[in-house]
Amino acid sequence: MRRSTAAAVGTLTGAALIAGVRLSVSVPEQPPAAPPAVDLAGSGAAASAEPTPSKSAKSAKENKENNENPDAERTEEAPPDSGLQDGTYRGAGAKNPYGTIQVSIKVTGGKIVAADATYPTANNSAIINPPAIAQLKQATLRAQSADVDAVSGATFTSDAYVRSLQAALDQAGG
Amino acid sequence: MGTAVSIELADDRPAGELRAMVADVCDWLHEVDERFSTYRESSEVNRFQRRELGLADLSGDMRHVLDACGDLWRATDGYFDAYACGPLDPSGYVKGWSVEVASARLAAAGSTRHYINAGGDIRARGGPWQVGIRHPWQADRLSWVLDVTDAAVATSGSYERGAHVRNPRTGRPAAGLRSVTVVGPDLALADAYATAGLAMGEAGLAWLAGLAAEGYESAAVTDDGRAFTSSRLPAAV
Repeated sequence: MRRSTAAAVGTLTGAALIAGVRLSVSVPEQPPAAPPAVDLAGSGAAASAEPTPSKSAKSAKENKENNENPDAERTEEAPPDSGLQDGTYRGAGAKNPYGTIQVSIKVTGGKIVAADATYPTANNSAIINPPAIAQLKQATLRAQSADVDAVSGATFTSDAYVRSLQAALDQAGG
Repeated sequence: MGTAVSIELADDRPAGELRAMVADVCDWLHEVDERFSTYRESSEVNRFQRRELGLADLSGDMRHVLDACGDLWRATDGYFDAYACGPLDPSGYVKGWSVEVASARLAAAGSTRHYINAGGDIRARGGPWQVGIRHPWQADRLSWVLDVTDAAVATSGSYERGAHVRNPRTGRPAAGLRSVTVVGPDLALADAYATAGLAMGEAGLAWLAGLAAEGYESAAVTDDGRAFTSSRLPAAV
């Protein structure tokens, strides 16, 4: 099947014109070329350590914290299909109005097998409801193992686009 | 500021045809920008706002947009408001509508399987497509994955540009919901419903649930991390 993917960074209602169009027709079965480094950590946070669910999302900033699988090193050159390298990863702290939540995940065999989150304990964080966040965590855990075609989210700006999973998908060329 | 548009055509057609389809979509989106951008002095929207154009002078597309904004204002109890910030700004409808039109143009040109993702709002044709919903706190994670065919997926959130969505009743930034995703047949409506739900705050959860009767399913996350989905949300996993 031929696929044609164009990522056009521009605007529908903003001030800037579409800046560039990338068009590629590729055989989907071929492994994607290594995409340019994209900061997938979001929010410009410095300490990115997240593997991502996208097969294309080989973030340049993955920091293996607890590499339990000796094969993981070799996957730098030959990543498993899921693109997730074995190990334990700690996400960049995500700020929200109540504090910072940090999620860590454990990857085994290219799949996310466990996820945990640390919650702020100071200030007014008591109004966070950990069981409620756990609900979202469960949904999130299930979602990470899926291979997606597209990502929906509130990405309004071209800056946000560059950091988005959709951008990583586009770079993989389908 | 700009919005990124990703187009994926999965039709088994010659590359030249696919390129021509993509070019047509880009031309159309540029045209929409020229005509409807509030950032362009010469746009039809701004000329109408300045009363250089009367109702009788408006294009068919502009009349459609104004009518739709009026309908949505009523359907959302005033929470979708093209005049929320003062002067006319139909961008909240135009974005989704222009992508709907773009997808229809692709279909008319023979495409049966494609998606267009405009700033996180997606119109998919054919399928099935696996559409991830961005985690409301972490840009590189997903909170749900949907399995959609011939459907639109729109997400509004307070996480990306801060509290940019305002509650038109109070004039204050919307609060209570962190992320709202609406899935249904029309992207312009799905997008407007998601924005209105976000503006309503937690009361929007009940309103969103009521949209299921019209074929629009939804998923929402509150500011304190509680996750809600309508019963027939096409979740893939």
